[in-house]
Amino acid sequence: MQQCSHCNAQQLDGAIFCSECGASLLAAPSRRGTTASLNKAAGRPNLVETIEPNIVEAPAAVSAPNISLVVINSGRRINLEGGQDLVVGRKDNQRGIFPDVDLGLDGGYDAGVSRRHAIIIPRNGGYVIEDLASANGTFINGRRVKPQAPVAVNHGDEVKFGTLILRFEIV
Amino acid sequence: MSAGIQLRSTLSRSILAESSEPQLIYVLLELSAQGVPTTLPKLPLNLCLVIDRSSSMRGERLQHVKEGASRIIDMLSDDDYFGLVTFNDRAEVVVPAQRARNKHELKRLVGMIEAAGGTEMATGMALALQEIQKPMLARGVSRILLLTDGRTYGDESRCVEIARRAQKRSIGVTALGVGGEWNEDLLETVAARENSRTQYITSALDISKVFTDEVKRMSSIFAQDMGLRVEMRPGAILRSLDRVRPFIAPIAATEEQDALWAASLGDWPGGDPQAILLEVVVPPLTVGDHPLLRLTMRYSLPGMNLNNQQGELVLRIGIRPNDQVTYGVDATVKHWLERLVAYRLQAGAWQQVEQGQIEEATRRLQMAGTRLFEAGEVDLARTVQDEATRLLRSGQTSAEGRKRIKYGTRGLMGRDKSTD
Repeated sequence: MQQCSHCNAQQLDGAIFCSECGASLLAAPSRRGTTASLNKAAGRPNLVETIEPNIVEAPAAVSAPNISLVVINSGRRINLEGGQDLVVGRKDNQRGIFPDVDLGLDGGYDAGVSRRHAIIIPRNGGYVIEDLASANGTFINGRRVKPQAPVAVNHGDEVKFGTLILRFEIV
Repeated sequence: MSAGIQLRSTLSRSILAESSEPQLIYVLLELSAQGVPTTLPKLPLNLCLVIDRSSSMRGERLQHVKEGASRIIDMLSDDDYFGLVTFNDRAEVVVPAQRARNKHELKRLVGMIEAAGGTEMATGMALALQEIQKPMLARGVSRILLLTDGRTYGDESRCVEIARRAQKRSIGVTALGVGGEWNEDLLETVAARENSRTQYITSALDISKVFTDEVKRMSSIFAQDMGLRVEMRPGAILRSLDRVRPFIAPIAATEEQDALWAASLGDWPGGDPQAILLEVVVPPLTVGDHPLLRLTMRYSLPGMNLNNQQGELVLRIGIRPNDQVTYGVDATVKHWLERLVAYRLQAGAWQQVEQGQIEEATRRLQMAGTRLFEAGEVDLARTVQDEATRLLRSGQTSAEGRKRIKYGTRGLMGRDKSTD
């Protein structure tokens, strides 16, 4: 037997999706939910897919730690590699806007997420968030962030883009 | 090469690790038509159109319906039968079932249909069932083609009852909904038999094409009376059986004897690829190769006058010691399974909405969105996510979004890519 990591239901060995909640029972591929994986997902599936075991790598000494954004209302976890600037927004093919974190599929449009909403920047081993003058604002733990003024964000903070709530986690 | 149905199976994993616990495998069964003449001899067709002419059909919709009906008449040959019934508050026979010979006159009658009044579907269907049974066909295909844009009030159960009566007499029902108002639960239930189908027409412009496509499908039936038998090895369990191509639909299977399941698959209109997905629980087995199940397909090929044909396939699995097994999953099986899971999730979500479990329903919809997204159905995934957000905010869903999701997840909307 195996246990679904999403809803804790007991599932038979060999099950690919949880029969209770529909979550994938295969090891989650990394960097899922970024624009790069969205483009990949739109393509044709490979004929044979091998599931790599989760290899735990030693963290790189200099770069900032990896982070995750968890979309609260869906539980979708967006894993992101640390050490680089990450634009949060909504993909727009027509205007050629491809943010690193695309919230379009999480109801971003209805929640008032701008196409280029905010940017997450590694700084001094931690992270800051800068609102990119978005229409509906960025909030950290309920407090609105001034546009173009980077504010520190810590593990477990609630970050709101428009009305879409995410949890910021340092992995 | 002799004509027939070729069976091909793919397992999610064909080598399992030795285990003291039961394990689950998924089997994709693909059917392909073999030795089909390039032009199938056309089977005689017995067709009855049931057209909603309530006032909401006025204008463009009815215009396209008439155009579609006229094109159908043009397509029919001398030995086909055609009938047409309309309904609003009451039903009337516009064209009594007859051979499609005097096409000019038939089209004139179609042209005189006018829109007015309400929607009472059951009387229309009852009249259609009466008409379609008048011609006596030794062989061929009988079909009721129902088109509506609205809700019928109070006679839903009668509609289903009439459809079942028709389906039992080998008269299939194609239920077509146009616009955003019709009751999709009703049309889905009406068409929930192996010899019937339902479809969502998103634009009035498509009515004529959907009509003629359906008639083309009906007149090129490759196989009829398809039946599948699944014989399991002792201890193995058939957990589910679903059609995944050309569209997703659960298949009703009955256990005839211990470990022997039988299901009826209906007709196979030419051209559409067919595939079925089975979930099989494998009991603990010793290291070695084992037969798992035997699949038997029975059918007839009416175009070639071949009855009682049969094809068979035995599936085997290998059990190996744990350290010799790499955990890989066949990507094609996973792809179809992922779509099936999305379909099941959304179906569960609507039930929960009915029961007022909004949060639970939202979660299911969101998970359905994730599955569709991973299966590459990005547009549909977006529609599902939007509907989930709407549900969470307002506790309600939109009629159109719900239809797009229900029909989209089953693959019943054609290649229509919505752009909102």
